[in-house]
Amino acid sequence: MEQVLTILVADDNPSDRTLLKAILTQFGHKVITANDGQEAVDKFDPQTIHLVCLDVKMPYKDGWEAALEIQRIAEGVFVPIIFLSGVADPVALSNCLRVGGTDFISKPYSPELITAKLNAIARLLVMQKTLEEQRDAMTLYNEQLLHEQEVAKVVYENITHSNCLNDPSLSTFHHGSHTFNGDVILAAYKPNGGMHLLLGDFTGHGLSAAIGALPLADIFFDWTKKGFLMRQIIPEINARLKSILPTNMFCSAAFIDIKVNDKTIEIWNGGLPDLLFFSKNGDQPKRFNSKNLPLGVLSPDAFECFVDPVSFLPGDILMAFSDGVYEALDLSGDMFCNSALKPLYDGQVESTQALDWLVDLLGQEGVLDNPHDDISCLNVCLDTSIGIGSPEGEITKSVDQAPADFSFEYALNADSLRNTDPLPYILQIITTVPGLSGFSSQVFMILSELYSNALEHGVLQLKSDKKSSLDGFSNYYEEREQALANLKEGYVKICVKVASDHNKRMLVLYVEDSGPGFKVDSISYDISNTELLYNRGLALLNQLCQKVEFSRGGSAVTAYYQWHID
Amino acid sequence: MVESRFDKQTECLTIKIRGRFDYSCHKSFKDAFTTLEMAKSYEVDLAEVTYLDSSALGMLLLLRDHVGGEKATISLTKANDAVIDILKIANFHRLFDITG
Repeated sequence: MEQVLTILVADDNPSDRTLLKAILTQFGHKVITANDGQEAVDKFDPQTIHLVCLDVKMPYKDGWEAALEIQRIAEGVFVPIIFLSGVADPVALSNCLRVGGTDFISKPYSPELITAKLNAIARLLVMQKTLEEQRDAMTLYNEQLLHEQEVAKVVYENITHSNCLNDPSLSTFHHGSHTFNGDVILAAYKPNGGMHLLLGDFTGHGLSAAIGALPLADIFFDWTKKGFLMRQIIPEINARLKSILPTNMFCSAAFIDIKVNDKTIEIWNGGLPDLLFFSKNGDQPKRFNSKNLPLGVLSPDAFECFVDPVSFLPGDILMAFSDGVYEALDLSGDMFCNSALKPLYDGQVESTQALDWLVDLLGQEGVLDNPHDDISCLNVCLDTSIGIGSPEGEITKSVDQAPADFSFEYALNADSLRNTDPLPYILQIITTVPGLSGFSSQVFMILSELYSNALEHGVLQLKSDKKSSLDGFSNYYEEREQALANLKEGYVKICVKVASDHNKRMLVLYVEDSGPGFKVDSISYDISNTELLYNRGLALLNQLCQKVEFSRGGSAVTAYYQWHID
Repeated sequence: MVESRFDKQTECLTIKIRGRFDYSCHKSFKDAFTTLEMAKSYEVDLAEVTYLDSSALGMLLLLRDHVGGEKATISLTKANDAVIDILKIANFHRLFDITG
C-alpha cells in the first residue's frame, strides 16, 4: 500500500530524531520534527498530519501528556499516535496504549520493523478514510431523505387535512411512529348539512403506509362535496385502493355519516376496533364492531357494505380509534384491549372526558414515548348544528353564460331506484346556473328532502311515524333497506326548471312518485316542534322555499326556490 | 419463525408460524408457499402465534392471492383467542376458514 504520509516526529534526542526522520524520508514520507512535547502539540494540525510519533520522555511536556492534548485537538479526526521508547518496561508501554496510542516502536530503531508498522498504520488510515467518507455520504443522504420527506409531508398534510377537522364538535388525537403517519382522519361537511368522517389505518407504518391516503382523501373530499352518499363513496374508495395497492396492503377504516336532519348517524366499520357511542342517558357505551373487510381487500363485485344506523340526541358522543390504541402495550406488557380500556368499555369514564382520559392513559403507560404503531383517536360530540351554515367551499364566480332558462326531466324506474342515487348528478347540472352555485347546499337540502319523501313514503310506502321513537329509527332503516331491495315496480320523476326574469331567478323542482299520495291537510309545518322527528323535513322545505305545493293527491310536490343575481 | 410441511398424500401444505407473526416473517412466509409447487389445500397453523399484526394480515392476503383468490381453500387453524379477535375485527372469516 503506497501512500505518502505526513508524519510529526517529536523527540528531544537529536540523533534519534534525525535517524527516524532519515528512515521515514527514505520511504518517501514527509516529516515534520519537534524538539519536545509542547512543540509537538503546537505543530500538530489534524488536517495535514496523518501520523504522530512521540518520544515518551521529553521536557516541557512528556509524550503521554502531548498525546492526550493532540487527541483533544484532533476532535474526532482519527490520527494514530506511535510512542517511541528506549525502555522495555511493560507498565510504561501499556500506559502508552492506555492514553490512546496506537502502537509503540522500541529504540534502537530497526528499519524493517518501522516499515512493517508503517504499512500497518497506512492500511488503518485508508480504512479509516473510507469509513469516514461512507459516514459523510450516509449523513448527507439521510439529511436529503429527511428533507424530501419533510417536503412530501407538507404536501401530504395539505391533502389529507384540507377539511373541517377544526369543527368545534370534533376532537382528535394523532400520534405517529414515523415522520409519516399511516393513519388518517378526514372530515368534510356535506352540501346538505351534516358531515362525513373517516378514520383510516393503512397496513404498516411510515411513507409506504401514508401513500395510499392520497387517493383515499381525494375521493373522500371530492365525492362528499358533490353530494354523494356514504354508500356510494365507500365502494368507490374500496375499488380505487384495490386497484392501486399491492395485495398485502389495505386500509382498516371507519366511515361515519352524520345526518343532522333526522338526528341519526350511520356507521361503517371495516377492520377497526369497536366504535363507542355514549348516549347522554346511558351507562355503558354502545359498541359498533367491525362488520366489513378493510378497504382495498375485496374486488368491487365482491364488496358489500354493512352499515349500522343509530339515532342521536345532541350531546351524545361517538368515539373511534385505530388499533394502535387497541393493541398498545401497557407497562406490564399487556395489550390495552385486555385491561387498560376496560373502564372505557364499562362506562366508568365520563363520556365528555373520554378522549382526554385515553390520551392520559397512553401517556402514563409509556405508549406515546415508544409507539409501535400509529395512533389515532376521534371524538365527535353529536349535534344537529353540525355542518349547518358552513361556508361553501368555493363560490365559483361563473360569469360565463351558462343557460339561465332550461328544464329537464329525470325519471327513475324500480331498477334505477334500487341501484342509483340521482341527486349528485342533478345537483351538478343545477349548480352550473349562474349565481346558484352559491346556494348549492340549500338546493341540495331541498332536493334530497323531496327525493327521500317520494322514495320512502311514496314508492316504498313506509310510515314516517315509525321514526318518532329513537329505537324506531333503526327498524325504519332496516325496513327501508329491505323494501328497496325487493322493489319491483314504481317510479320517481324529477323535473327541474330554471326560469329568469331580469335579475330574478326561479328554480322549480317537481317530484312525482308512483305512490298513493297522502292526506295533504294533515301536515304540520311547525319547525319549532323538534320532538317530531319525522315532520322536520317538510317544515324545513317550507322554510327554505318560496312556496311548496302538493298535487295529485299528495303524490306530487312542487317546490319554488327563488334567488337574485346582481 | 416459519416452517412448512407438504403432505404428499393429502397434497396439503401446512405453514406453521411461531411467536410474533409480523413483518419479520415476511420473506420466510412468502418463501414457504412460493418455492413449492401448487398444493391442493393450505393450512396456516397459528397454534404458537402469540401476536399478529396488520402486515401479517397482508401476508395472508398474499397467500390467498397466490393460490387463486376467491377459489382458494385456506384454513387458519389453532388460533388463540387474541389472534382470533384480531382476525375477526378484520372480518377475515369471510376470506378464510378460521378455527380455534
